[in-house]
Amino acid sequence: MDVFYYNISKRIEFLLNYYYKGVERKWSNPFTPFTTGTLWDDVYDETSNYIVPEKYEILDKFRTSLRLSAHPVTLPDDFWSHSLVERRSWFIKEAIVNYMPQEVLPGELIAGARFNMMASRCLNEEEAAARNELIYGPDGVREREIEFHYRGFGNCTTASGHLIPNHQEVIEKGFRHIYEDLEEKYGLLTEAEKNGPKGNQLRAMMNSATMPRELAARYSALCLELSREEKDNERKKELEMMAENLKRVPWEGARNFWEAVQSLWISHMLIMTDENYPGPGISFGRIDQYLYPYWEKSIKNGMTEDFGKEILKCFWIHCNTAYDATIYEGNNQGITSGFGQLLTISGVGKDGQDMSNDLTYVLLDVIDDMSPILEPKPSIRLHRKSPDKLLDKVVDMLSDSQGAPFLINFDERSMAGLLREAKMSNNEHLINLENVYDYASVGCLENTMVGNDRSGTVDNNLYLSKVVELTLCNGGELHTYDNKLSKERYEHELDSPKTGNPEDLKSFEQFYHAFETQMCYIIKKNVELYDALDTIRATYCPTPYLSCLVKGCAEKGLDITQGGAQIKFTTVEGVQFATTVDSLLAVKYLVYDKKICTLSELKEALQNNWEGYEVLRSQAKFRAPKYGRDDDEADALAEKVMALWSNEVWKYKTTKTKVQFRPGMLSWNYWITTGYFMAATPDGRRRGEFFSNAICPVDGADIEGPTANVNSVGKALGGRKKNLGDFEDYINYLPNGASHTMTLSPALMRDKNHKEKFKAFLRGYIENGGTALQINILDVDMLKDAQKHPENYRNLLVRVTGYNAYFASIGKELQDEIIARESHSKL
Amino acid sequence: MNNNNDTKVRILDIQRMSTEDGPGIRTTVFFKGCSLKCAWCHNPESISFTPSIEWYENRCIGCKRCVEICPKNAVAFSEEGLAFDRDKCALCGKCANQCPAQAIVIKGREMSRQELLHTLLKDKAYYDKSGGGVTFSGGEALMQPNAVFAMINDIKSMGIHVAIDTAGYIPFQIMEKVAELADLILYDLKIMDEAAHIKYTAKSNDLIKKNLLILGDHIRKNKRPVLWIRTPIIPGATDSIQNITAIGEFIHQNLPGLVERWELCSFNNLCKDKYLRLDLSWTYASCGLMTKEQMDELTACAKLVCKEPHIVQWTGSTAIDLKEEC
Repeated sequence: MDVFYYNISKRIEFLLNYYYKGVERKWSNPFTPFTTGTLWDDVYDETSNYIVPEKYEILDKFRTSLRLSAHPVTLPDDFWSHSLVERRSWFIKEAIVNYMPQEVLPGELIAGARFNMMASRCLNEEEAAARNELIYGPDGVREREIEFHYRGFGNCTTASGHLIPNHQEVIEKGFRHIYEDLEEKYGLLTEAEKNGPKGNQLRAMMNSATMPRELAARYSALCLELSREEKDNERKKELEMMAENLKRVPWEGARNFWEAVQSLWISHMLIMTDENYPGPGISFGRIDQYLYPYWEKSIKNGMTEDFGKEILKCFWIHCNTAYDATIYEGNNQGITSGFGQLLTISGVGKDGQDMSNDLTYVLLDVIDDMSPILEPKPSIRLHRKSPDKLLDKVVDMLSDSQGAPFLINFDERSMAGLLREAKMSNNEHLINLENVYDYASVGCLENTMVGNDRSGTVDNNLYLSKVVELTLCNGGELHTYDNKLSKERYEHELDSPKTGNPEDLKSFEQFYHAFETQMCYIIKKNVELYDALDTIRATYCPTPYLSCLVKGCAEKGLDITQGGAQIKFTTVEGVQFATTVDSLLAVKYLVYDKKICTLSELKEALQNNWEGYEVLRSQAKFRAPKYGRDDDEADALAEKVMALWSNEVWKYKTTKTKVQFRPGMLSWNYWITTGYFMAATPDGRRRGEFFSNAICPVDGADIEGPTANVNSVGKALGGRKKNLGDFEDYINYLPNGASHTMTLSPALMRDKNHKEKFKAFLRGYIENGGTALQINILDVDMLKDAQKHPENYRNLLVRVTGYNAYFASIGKELQDEIIARESHSKL
Repeated sequence: MNNNNDTKVRILDIQRMSTEDGPGIRTTVFFKGCSLKCAWCHNPESISFTPSIEWYENRCIGCKRCVEICPKNAVAFSEEGLAFDRDKCALCGKCANQCPAQAIVIKGREMSRQELLHTLLKDKAYYDKSGGGVTFSGGEALMQPNAVFAMINDIKSMGIHVAIDTAGYIPFQIMEKVAELADLILYDLKIMDEAAHIKYTAKSNDLIKKNLLILGDHIRKNKRPVLWIRTPIIPGATDSIQNITAIGEFIHQNLPGLVERWELCSFNNLCKDKYLRLDLSWTYASCGLMTKEQMDELTACAKLVCKEPHIVQWTGSTAIDLKEEC
């Protein structure tokens, strides 16, 4: 099937088709490793990858192959006499400017092509040995991490990206401003400070701040060279213009829309270079707000809307080249899908008014025209005063698309979470009613502030159903877990609290109390492991370029990895929430309310993976109450569990960087993958079956329809309570947001009348629902055919959790799951 | 007026986020019991006022607990699955209550006014945003008039829009009362020919026509409630040009300017399994869907005859466009 595009110019059609050729392309942006050439050098930083358990088995392969294939960079004689942060800064700049090829594809309007770099960690022998000890030593993080995951507790990492840099400042004032600011701050240091870590940091950042200027100069020269060879007069002029743009930005402030987008792209792509990670949730923030002045000016000065859109579409394609880092590895469930370069459009302003403008609608057109491309991921902010015009467009796009073309984020509930976070972390001077409206989402849907905030939005993922298992087993486990890599069994006892044998838990209150104790235990365990990782990153993995783009780092003279950002968090994402709540509901129903079985019998049933307990399993699954049905009693327990775990998370900070832990709910693909090895659960789930996804009810449990599902989600987040709200009367326990996916029948939007009803449904969601919604509109027959004939559905896009994925490229289990869910909704 | 909060209503089901029973997003309450017995009925379990019992094969785990538990020996399990001896079954509900997988379901339950009201208020945010509300449907909701009147008052006092879906075969006093209380009446007008009406619905359409005239008078005087006429388009029964012409003429002659919408609802066969579960045969079990051309033709006829083309529309699925109704 050939891709057919509407509203796509020849230029963009060429670039898109070329992009979709994937591995057949001559040009690519693959991982390119560079080394200092020392024997002890390491290029791959596995500690930023532990939240992708699929990678555990290839960590060594990656580490070795990247080190062996790395290009050596010639070092200056005094290289090793400098601090680590200065070494890294120098090395990355040297590699990207003087070693990495610079290229411009035919027709493109935005330069900046090769950025997927794997740079040497730049450690000296002593540092390398110390870091290796912390990672690979007897109490090293790698083995702890593997056990943490395969034993069913969770996973965590000091993840790259997942923030919104201060792009607005770069576009307005350029890196020159950042450089001069650093210079001034450096000048104010005492001699002792200059010779200490602060001085090292600021010098490194100053060097990094010149990296975009020098790279842009290279691209400028290249454009000029190309323009000289160019026969087509129009293209020649474009290339000359690009050369001019790059002479100016991003070092100076942008003067027009083209320069602004060029500036944005270079400063964005270099973060991926700096962090050696392609597109990890490095997000753009409210792009329709900060680019609008440039758009308005350029349109006034004669730029056509079409040309403006072409500039944006070139930017779109560049974002997707992040995937070139992994296209050669082949696709697998989750790994290569969704890098989460999120952009936010529309939303509320300071005075409660809607902030949509002409550019908002231009961007929606671009999203529509470029669909179904994976990056950047759009998030549309809705609120009470969102205009009908916007909702019309949103609903039209939903009903015309395969899969959801964007995420919808809901301002009132989201802002409530961020204001709650301000209170819980004593950050009310940084997040308050005066600025909270300017929040935006990163990665999949995680809410943060902009330009001064690193919230580590996917750093920790906690498998909540483990708590049910520990509670049932007096701190033990239902079965022995295996290390899937070494095949060894984890026989050693856990250091968990003894909260009582099943016979001792005489009432549900006693059971719940034990559950609370075990909850505190697994959170503490998570915190301890993350703390070790955080220390490694803070000590050995500076990112001085990124530090230039986040407020607080220059002021404190601290790298962002050392807690330099003004607002600094690490987020714990609760995974398997609904399964956990439903399990508690089932325990209460089966054991304590209806006395259908004893707790010991239930435990035995789970140890047997429900085999031989089919009647009890059915009772658990079909007769016990469930979250997701707008059942006040069940939802009250959901809120209680939410309050319990989220309040516990707020109690912790990291030791070295004093980064505060905060809660969120996003399950990436863990709800699927952990289903295979984690024990059966009291809600009737067998081992081997999926868990619930993020804040969604268990699949199929939401039998009262979409409004009931939405109402339950809102209640679990705290609902709305007069005089107790965090924003107006909205409560939101999860500042990071809660991923809510619903698969809806296309019939709900089949004509104008129904589209109006669906708009009202979204407005109802603003009142009653959660923070973020992804809507899948799928057709069973199409999906089944796509499963049989993937070659015909190269572009068929579905949304799973927080990311888009090409249906044909995801695993069969997940495909089956999507089909089953869609069939279910049609019964 | 019965103001007792403990008033019980017998309902079949509650459907939330209903988008097909009036304007906006609605919660539809299906009452149990109907005064007609239409051959094509899509909710056969709604006809009888007494509860009915059904077995869902796909949910059954085959534990046979129902067989053991039944005090009347009315449940049997064979290779063909579960069978009820409906003569013996006293509808005590023991098997349904004990069925671990909810494979046995008693259709029809008593709910107190309070309980029902609580459920109906849950989606108020969506009603408010969509201009929706609550629809009382059936069966025939107006066969439980006192409870319905009390409920309408409850709901309207909360500022929620109320629609009544009725087949009109009810005492005229009740129709007068409903005209006073409801915001919208969805009125079924199925067949104009008296003999055919008796043949297909088991009742004369005399009362139905009279009640519609009463309703028309009320609207003329009070400018409310809003009236929608609904005509199910059933192959061989209601789908003739003559029938549509007769209904259109009736509207034109008696209700000019009073009907906001006349909906031709195309036949669907999604209820086939329901008949099987009730051990009932269904005349329409193998009947195909209407085609789009047929529906367009009938719609064109309706528009012509009633002389108010803007009020006519057709809804539902057709043979080519199966997906629409999914």
